[in-house]
Amino acid sequence: MHTVLIVDDSDINLTLIKALVLRLGECTPVLFEHPLRALEWCADHVPDLVIVDYMMPDMDGLAFIRAFRARPEGADIPVLMITANDQRDVRYEALDGGANDFLNKPIDRAEFSARVRNMLALRTSQKHLADRARHLAALVDERTAAIREREKELIVRISRAAEFRDPETGAHIQRMAHYSHLIADALGLPEADRKLILEAAPMHDVGKIGIPDYILLKPGRLTPEEFEIMKGHARLGYELLQGSGSAVLKAGAEIAYAHHEKFDGSGYPNRLAGEAIPLYGRIVAVADVFDALTSQRPYKKAWALEDAASFLHDGAGSHFDPACVDAFLKRWDGAIAIRCRFQDEEDPSY
Amino acid sequence: MSQGFFLDKARILERLGDDEEIFAALADLYLQDVEAYCGQLGAALAAADNAVLCREAHTVKGLLATFADDDGAALAFALEGQARAGAAPAALAAAVAAVQARLRLVGEALRTA
Repeated sequence: MHTVLIVDDSDINLTLIKALVLRLGECTPVLFEHPLRALEWCADHVPDLVIVDYMMPDMDGLAFIRAFRARPEGADIPVLMITANDQRDVRYEALDGGANDFLNKPIDRAEFSARVRNMLALRTSQKHLADRARHLAALVDERTAAIREREKELIVRISRAAEFRDPETGAHIQRMAHYSHLIADALGLPEADRKLILEAAPMHDVGKIGIPDYILLKPGRLTPEEFEIMKGHARLGYELLQGSGSAVLKAGAEIAYAHHEKFDGSGYPNRLAGEAIPLYGRIVAVADVFDALTSQRPYKKAWALEDAASFLHDGAGSHFDPACVDAFLKRWDGAIAIRCRFQDEEDPSY
Repeated sequence: MSQGFFLDKARILERLGDDEEIFAALADLYLQDVEAYCGQLGAALAAADNAVLCREAHTVKGLLATFADDDGAALAFALEGQARAGAAPAALAAAVAAVQARLRLVGEALRTA
């Protein structure tokens, strides 16, 4: 069913046009004698065709078409203007102003029906195209969501691959990712960035896949040579993840590379300092160290939460970005809630 | 000009797709409105409002054309042009009277059709 908006100050013309529109079938005419009332109606309705007279009080047909076309929904709706044959200049102006076609006065039914049918066919084609575009957009959204799900699964599996070779637990991964998200939120980062860091942070130690077992699983303190090899996990993680088209893998590469840099430039692998260290790296550094300190390891007991907070506080400006430390400590209750939510399932003192 | 008007119903119906129902509805409305149109023309003349007179003459031109009154439409068209050109009321009075008379004549013809 097509809605046909008819605007004419003459009730005889309105009656005639309404009757002719009804006889076309599949049409609902909506009549207005006053152009301004018709525009008010357009605020809540979108017609399929507009038929408007030229000469009317208050607002002529040209002004009506301009006002109608200025509405977002009115840009593509077909408009027919009723004019007399002697109004050639008006017709040119109407074409410039957005009229699609004209109806001659006195109205001839055969001509009227042909022109209105043409305009409604145009509108039907527009609707089909719009429906198709919406359908395609929905399909793209659906496929994109499926790809995102697969990407998330892949990231979880990559993170787990590192986990299998590392005494750190899956709960550590979850906690440090959520601590990172918490800091990002406290720093006022946009939702997209917060989500990205939550998804990418678990990959921070994926480079440990490339570290030999005798170093990675060594229960005691590493020798300086062994520690140098261990430090290589940052670059290995970066090389594993970099070059991807995925935003999450790109962020993961950045985090893997930068999460052991220190704010004063004494970290590794590139001895970056201050804001030269990517923000995600500075955030994850705080989250990772806090969780490492407050977790039990085969070679150490878990620190008290307050002691770990003091460590962060003392390291602000040297080891850590002070803004990230402040952001984390400002959300202390949130950090405690994350710690309670993701607890180690097993005693890692194997 | 007002003498000898013939309501060419066949020509009107041809334009309406031989739809007697539409013809009857239009004729009814015309008969209801004809005095109002005459009054609006007279009021615009009395007020020396050429813009309104021009618009009313334009509307009447379309109405008369709808009822196949080519001569009446020509009268209204001439009045519309005079009003648009800024003619003085005294110069327009005769044209307004002629159009009013034509409107009533068509009304008479429709009443007896």
